[in-house]
Amino acid sequence: MKRLLKWIAGVLTVLLLAAFGALWYMAGSPKDAYGMVRYALPHMHRGTLKVGSDAPDARLLALDGTSHFHIRERVAARPLVLVFGSFT
Amino acid sequence: MGDIVQIYNDYKDKADFLTVYVREAHPTDEWQMKSNLKDDVCYAQPKTLEQRVAIAKDFTARFKFPLPFGIDEMGNAADNAYAAWPERLYVIDETGHVAYRGGMGPFKYKPAEVRDWLAAKYGAVKHEAPVVTNSPATAAPATASVPASAATTPPTTSNSTK
Repeated sequence: MKRLLKWIAGVLTVLLLAAFGALWYMAGSPKDAYGMVRYALPHMHRGTLKVGSDAPDARLLALDGTSHFHIRERVAARPLVLVFGSFT
Repeated sequence: MGDIVQIYNDYKDKADFLTVYVREAHPTDEWQMKSNLKDDVCYAQPKTLEQRVAIAKDFTARFKFPLPFGIDEMGNAADNAYAAWPERLYVIDETGHVAYRGGMGPFKYKPAEVRDWLAAKYGAVKHEAPVVTNSPATAAPATASVPASAATTPPTTSNSTK
């Protein structure tokens, strides 16, 4: 039994190291591998929107810093391309 | 070809565009990347809406970004509704339904798929010279962190209606 547990622990350790190595390779550095696990992975399967879903609304602030508008206000007679992102 | 500004210039007479600034992807106090230092794009995660506005203004001024622009409020309503962070593309059709849902950036952020959607509806726009992707002068939000391969990979799947 003790020997089996040791084997399981060994295999798990190897798998964890392999996973971290793969993330390191993908992300470019150990710090970025950590960042990927800490910040990106939790977002991988967010959201339930699908093609055909009603487009949700949200209030946005205009660049002037004072006026507001809603995303759905921009849905009109033409398709609306939404580009989400940040500076960094 | 994966440059959202070029797509905007090509199709702004046919479709509407809206850029939505959401919380930072690689702020200095979270997951800063080397490319942020190289590109001199170093900001802490905004704690106030005023800070978000300031960063958004820096972005639009630095790149002379021409697309209409809105800023997600501190409750992150737009981000949550569209699972937008760190970057994502959508097309909403004239009836208010999702017609195209892009993947989570940066690896699945593919402006070329939006171009294909628009081209299928309105016809392709040909360019005589190849368009340079990821140029600082034409970058879309967060595309500085998009690998060139991700930005230029032709779409292989269709998750849209036209």
